[in-house]
Amino acid sequence: MVTIFDVILPISTLIVAALLTIPVFKLIRKSTYKTGLTLAWILAVFITAGLTIANLAFSYYSTANPVPLNLTLDGTSNPTIAASFLIDAISIYMAIIMIAIAAVVMIYAVFFVKSADRPSDRYFAVMIVLTGALIGAVLAGDLLTFFIFWEAATAAAAFLMLYRKNTFSLNATLKYLIMVIIASAFVLLGLSIVYGLTGTLNYIALRNAIGGITGADMNLLIIAFIFIAAGYAIEAAIVPFHFWLPDAYTAAPAPSAAFLSSLVDQGSYYILIRILLFIILPPAVGGIFDWTLMLAIMAALAMIIGNLLALIQNNIKRLIAYICVADVGYNLIAITSTTQLGLIGNLYFFLIGGLTTALAFMAVGIINSHGFRTLDDFAGIGKRMPWTSLALVMAGLSFAGIPPLGGFIAKYFVFTAAISADLTWLAVIGILTSVIQTAYIFRLINVMYSKKPKDGNTSVIKENKYLLIPVFMLVIAIFVLGLFPDIVLQLLQPILTQLPWAIP
Amino acid sequence: MVFPVLLSIFALSSISIPFVYLTGKRSPRAAAIFVASLILINLGLLAGTIPTIMDSSSHQWIETYQWIPNLGNTQFTLFVDGMSVSVALISLVLLFTATIYSINYMAGKKNLPAYYALICMLSVGLVGVFLTSNLLLFYFCWELMLVPAYFIVGEWGHGNSYKSALKLFIFTHAGAVFVLLGIGSIYWLTGTTEMFTVNGILGAQAMLLGVSASNIIKWILLALTAGFAVKMAVFPVHIWLPDAHSEAPAPMSALLSGVVISAGAYAILRIVFGVVFPAIDVTFAVSFLHALSIIAIITAFFGSFLALRATDIKRVIAYSSISHMGYIMFGISLFPVSVAGGTAVVLASSIAITGTILHIISHAASKGLFFLTAGGIMHQLNDERDIRKMGGLASKMPFSTVSGMIAALSIAGIPPLACFISEFLIFMGAFQLIAADSFYIIPTALMLVATVFSLAYSLRFISKVFFGTAPGELVEDVHGGSNCVHDSSAVCTGGGHGGKFDVPNWMKAALAILAALVVLIGVYPTFFMQLIQTVTFG
Repeated sequence: MVTIFDVILPISTLIVAALLTIPVFKLIRKSTYKTGLTLAWILAVFITAGLTIANLAFSYYSTANPVPLNLTLDGTSNPTIAASFLIDAISIYMAIIMIAIAAVVMIYAVFFVKSADRPSDRYFAVMIVLTGALIGAVLAGDLLTFFIFWEAATAAAAFLMLYRKNTFSLNATLKYLIMVIIASAFVLLGLSIVYGLTGTLNYIALRNAIGGITGADMNLLIIAFIFIAAGYAIEAAIVPFHFWLPDAYTAAPAPSAAFLSSLVDQGSYYILIRILLFIILPPAVGGIFDWTLMLAIMAALAMIIGNLLALIQNNIKRLIAYICVADVGYNLIAITSTTQLGLIGNLYFFLIGGLTTALAFMAVGIINSHGFRTLDDFAGIGKRMPWTSLALVMAGLSFAGIPPLGGFIAKYFVFTAAISADLTWLAVIGILTSVIQTAYIFRLINVMYSKKPKDGNTSVIKENKYLLIPVFMLVIAIFVLGLFPDIVLQLLQPILTQLPWAIP
Repeated sequence: MVFPVLLSIFALSSISIPFVYLTGKRSPRAAAIFVASLILINLGLLAGTIPTIMDSSSHQWIETYQWIPNLGNTQFTLFVDGMSVSVALISLVLLFTATIYSINYMAGKKNLPAYYALICMLSVGLVGVFLTSNLLLFYFCWELMLVPAYFIVGEWGHGNSYKSALKLFIFTHAGAVFVLLGIGSIYWLTGTTEMFTVNGILGAQAMLLGVSASNIIKWILLALTAGFAVKMAVFPVHIWLPDAHSEAPAPMSALLSGVVISAGAYAILRIVFGVVFPAIDVTFAVSFLHALSIIAIITAFFGSFLALRATDIKRVIAYSSISHMGYIMFGISLFPVSVAGGTAVVLASSIAITGTILHIISHAASKGLFFLTAGGIMHQLNDERDIRKMGGLASKMPFSTVSGMIAALSIAGIPPLACFISEFLIFMGAFQLIAADSFYIIPTALMLVATVFSLAYSLRFISKVFFGTAPGELVEDVHGGSNCVHDSSAVCTGGGHGGKFDVPNWMKAALAILAALVVLIGVYPTFFMQLIQTVTFG
């Protein structure tokens, strides 16, 4: 049986660990085994946090046919304002993938920061806080608790971008913060209207309360939800609100970019799913208004604009950032389809998209750290840094949806969901933009393997083996999940029985 | 418990990929022999299924394994029948010859461990395409043969090879996404990714028959056909082929032209005609087939004309592949329409389709032999590719001349070589069909004309390359056998000493195997025909 303690435990573990990180690093810094001890500390934190999440998952699934559980801090069953946590198959799944990806990226960060020779205790502390806040956000059971954790996460994310402290990263962070503040204002405005009309912000209570709203109040409620959705759409960088993302990810150092793209991005799609599919419900099953067409258009725009802009990028890190923008579109297709297949595909896409973008940023980060940034610099890298390039090629093929990599299964789900929801036009746009994606990814691969470096230096660069370990952990994960997606799909099965609506 | 033959084929090759790479680090030749022996084992395993296919009542061999139960109960279904086993066999033979050919041909090139590992990976995808009846697994293998092909063409090809490889990849991948669209739609309509009914569980073929949305099925049919046609490189989506096939290293050209593009033809027969076609209505089916035959004619003529004009030794052969895909497409367009009504047709009653599948096989063997011979000539002539600079090779490379002539004459459709018999069957089928559908009179007549052009470019190739005199030999005569001191003719620079300079032994072995096969199929096609004729459509 899950208690509130089980839910609080992983969040508090991470936050306490983050606070401890700074004194612990003060001790470690003087040691000769600095990197080893850093790694040991990070592993200790993440293994503990992982165990607490495993404990949560096991105790939740120990009952036959688990139902969504709403747990509050004050013990009331139907809270109005108390901080509450919703434990169901989706939130547990999101917590698991977040802790897992975060752990791999952190291992990378330990070696990356070392190799860039800028040890920073605060950096690791912020990363751990960010993980804790995100896990708190996905486990949250009402919009306010989510909002609080989410703001904590965005603040931490801003610190991750700011790491380099140069003009470019300051500008990018400023852009990000302005967008986030605007987004938060939208969300807060929406939340206050919703609370005023329904008297609750709790996901389940809110869903039940919506039915009782009529007339002019209903219009106001719809506007309020549009505010909330728009706010989170800005944070998810849905076209046309995407322009902060490429700057921010390019400015952030590689581990931060990997962190942001694989965790923060997925968190913002998660809340869209919660709001659209679990609170206001799809239009076909009594949703209060028809949001699918609007979202479908946004998905199409995201795919087209994201991929076209990626096509003209010269900076490789920026190119990967634009792939993230395009990936939002593929995710939105799945939400738009409002089918069970789409929901499963979407959640699978979170995992694969997170793994792949993290992998791409990590591999590009290694190459960048040798001073190669633009497409021209990448000429001949395939032969100079064979293993890192192999990892980048794998990430690229997964983005392009080439089997047997994970990205293929994810896209297959998404497109099939769109076709089955009579959105064939959207699936066709998705497939055609995938071809554009393949084109620029192969242009990159072409440059990496066929071109000669401009300075004529073709010597093999010694790659840092320790950095390659986390990178290849992700490569193997993408391979295995592409060949045996059932490992994850099994975790997702209970979601279908817990849906508040059922379209086959 | 029956021995899991097909799974072993899959597992053996895929598990071996890293070991091939590691072996290659020690000795590339050992890696080549490793891959070749793997392929031989696979060949033996696959041959083991033939008695069952011939004798069992269903004429199939099926293995099913759990794969993704949570996605429409997707099974890892391995399936062979007479059609797939014969195409898979010829693919394995071609892979085997290409591998042992590479021992000499690729010797001294860089990164050979990766080359053999990629060949091994290619064999998984290429053979896998023929061994499965699950649409998702099929797509996996379909793309799996593309990625190694890209890297092999790009890394070890001639000239601006990465550009050709990119063209190959983008075009075929763009085709593949249409295939994906089709597969996704089939899954949506039927909730299954199985092609056929296996172990009592209904497959897409049976379920599509019950679907009333016939308009969507038409679109599925067209999307799948378009996707596979890109792989086949029929007009107008052929533009990627000449570059990729001529810039690739010779063993890869042989594989690409021999079997990889034929996989498109196989896929059209297996999926478009095997799964979707029975569910569409007859009037649409007739116009679809007529459209295919028109495309086929344009492709055949187009390829032949370009082959007649080309001067690059491998481009001639690459263009002839386009024209032969035209023949295969024409054969496919003779598909019995009655299947569209839901009637099952055993291939024993359809000469045209038997001939088409046999042509896939005989074209694979002949084209493989053709490219390997051409590669051998280039290899011995210091990568000279211009056929105008060749000539008189018959006396200098007798072995290659014999194999090249067998290949060229087979491509031209001269009896008793392989392509003659299959083209003959296609035309027999066409004449049979004319009685029922007079539309085919003109296409058949035009196709007969096209064969004349095939003969023309084959004879041009033979006379330019093997006979006559090279520009250099004239000089030699003038100067009294001074071994062409001051000329740039390929024949002189290649041999160096004016004597014989035929290909090395491994290459000879590869050529001999394929040449024997081309003759054998031509003289005794019964083995493959019996296998093919067990297949049932609809």
